[in-house]
Amino acid sequence: MENALLIGLSRQMTLQRKMDVLANNMANVNTAGFKRDNLLFEEHLMPVARMSDATGSDARLSFVLDPSLYRSFEQGGFKQTGNELDLAISGDAWFVVQTPEGERYTRNGALRLDADGQLTSPSGFPVLGDGGPITFGPQETGIQIAKDGTISTSEGIRGRVRLVSFENKNEMTKEGAMLFATNEAPQEATDAKVLQGVIEKSNVQPVTELTRMIETVRAYTAVSQAIQQTDRLRQDAIERLSGSNRS
Amino acid sequence: MNSLQTAASGMMAQELNVEVISNNIANMRTTGFKRVRAEFQDLLYQDLRRVGTASSDEGTVVPTGIQIGYGVKTGATSRVMSQGSLAKTDKELDLAIRGDGFFEISLPSGQTAYTRDGSFELDADGRLVTLDGYEVQPGITIPNNARSITINRQGTVQVVTDTNATPQDVGQIQLTRFVNKSGLQAIGDNLFLETPSSGSPTQGTPSQDGLGDVLQKFLESANVNAVSELSDLIAAQRAYEMNARVISASDEMMSSTANILR
Repeated sequence: MENALLIGLSRQMTLQRKMDVLANNMANVNTAGFKRDNLLFEEHLMPVARMSDATGSDARLSFVLDPSLYRSFEQGGFKQTGNELDLAISGDAWFVVQTPEGERYTRNGALRLDADGQLTSPSGFPVLGDGGPITFGPQETGIQIAKDGTISTSEGIRGRVRLVSFENKNEMTKEGAMLFATNEAPQEATDAKVLQGVIEKSNVQPVTELTRMIETVRAYTAVSQAIQQTDRLRQDAIERLSGSNRS
Repeated sequence: MNSLQTAASGMMAQELNVEVISNNIANMRTTGFKRVRAEFQDLLYQDLRRVGTASSDEGTVVPTGIQIGYGVKTGATSRVMSQGSLAKTDKELDLAIRGDGFFEISLPSGQTAYTRDGSFELDADGRLVTLDGYEVQPGITIPNNARSITINRQGTVQVVTDTNATPQDVGQIQLTRFVNKSGLQAIGDNLFLETPSSGSPTQGTPSQDGLGDVLQKFLESANVNAVSELSDLIAAQRAYEMNARVISASDEMMSSTANILR
């Protein structure tokens, strides 16, 4: 009898985690360059526990596990801002950010300059060009960034924004502040375009997230009810067998 | 359940977003105003199952792990320092900058502030001051018998007086620029202060070194675009509502757990 409770519990725990993932997606619905997550479930057949009063394949108990996360890297929508340091990538590529922990990758192209004129990410880490960090002089004006990432100013061509891509993006982990990390060696991206004056929006689809959320809540409530029923069954059994039932 | 806190972080972020947008809209008609944009970043992640860890002794690894995020934070409210459109005013002491420069203003406290708002006036002594009476640097004094004032693109101030019909130079307007003008600190009254992240000011004559031209009888309008602000406002409001929905859904889940035991 406890199996029903435990199986129900395994489902509820995964559903709570799913809710956490959905809440995080929803909280980042307006975060530029955000990529949404989704939890995957699988059936976990219990190797040892078996129902003694069922036979054949029914005897095996299956629990729910959430072994992995599916990260959607699909393109987010574009928003025109007209700001010369807002860059968006169209295609499969990443900007390279030099953090104290090493190179990190981001799709958030709301770049800025620091006090020395260096091109940085919103968190203040240098954004790398083909030859390392890009620094503009105090006299330079009119920063233009071409589709291939070539930067030109009033002083001529100043290098190119480095774009990289990865074979296996699902190995990338999020580090917060729109940075992604991976152990895989980056390759130079070839088929991506840089758009200036544009920001890539979050790829969270509110409709999908809300639908998934409703699904999650309903599934959770249903399991709660099943647990409640199981509990009542047991209560009945105890009452009858102990003879405490006065009727 | 983290989803409650996560959704709350989303609601707080959108609330701040609405504050920023409403300030932009309120300053739509403010001379030299530069719009501000709230930028969001995702918060920390918790690794429940780390990607790339060994899943067996045979050297197989976990291809995709489980990372659960804790919501959103406001990374910055950055100022978009793009050029505002120039409106003709026909007032002699209205100046606009077409380019990256700022006017330098000395505050009563002795500090130096910078502004793009060139709606200047003269004080009792004929000095060029802002609408608050703060002196424009370097100080320019217009003789009190001046009949007309001409300021050219390079910032040279010339006057024609009652007694002398030939224009005379009475001063030179200087402009200042910063490497990172988005790093300036706004202190209200259309004024900005230098900060460690703005870089140090470089001063010069207008029309040189990217400082921009000075245009007389023009004012720079705010660079707020009403349509994009309103669409951002709608997006922020809807995002707020959706995060509120997440809270009520999490609440529903928790109450169904609480109701198991009756």
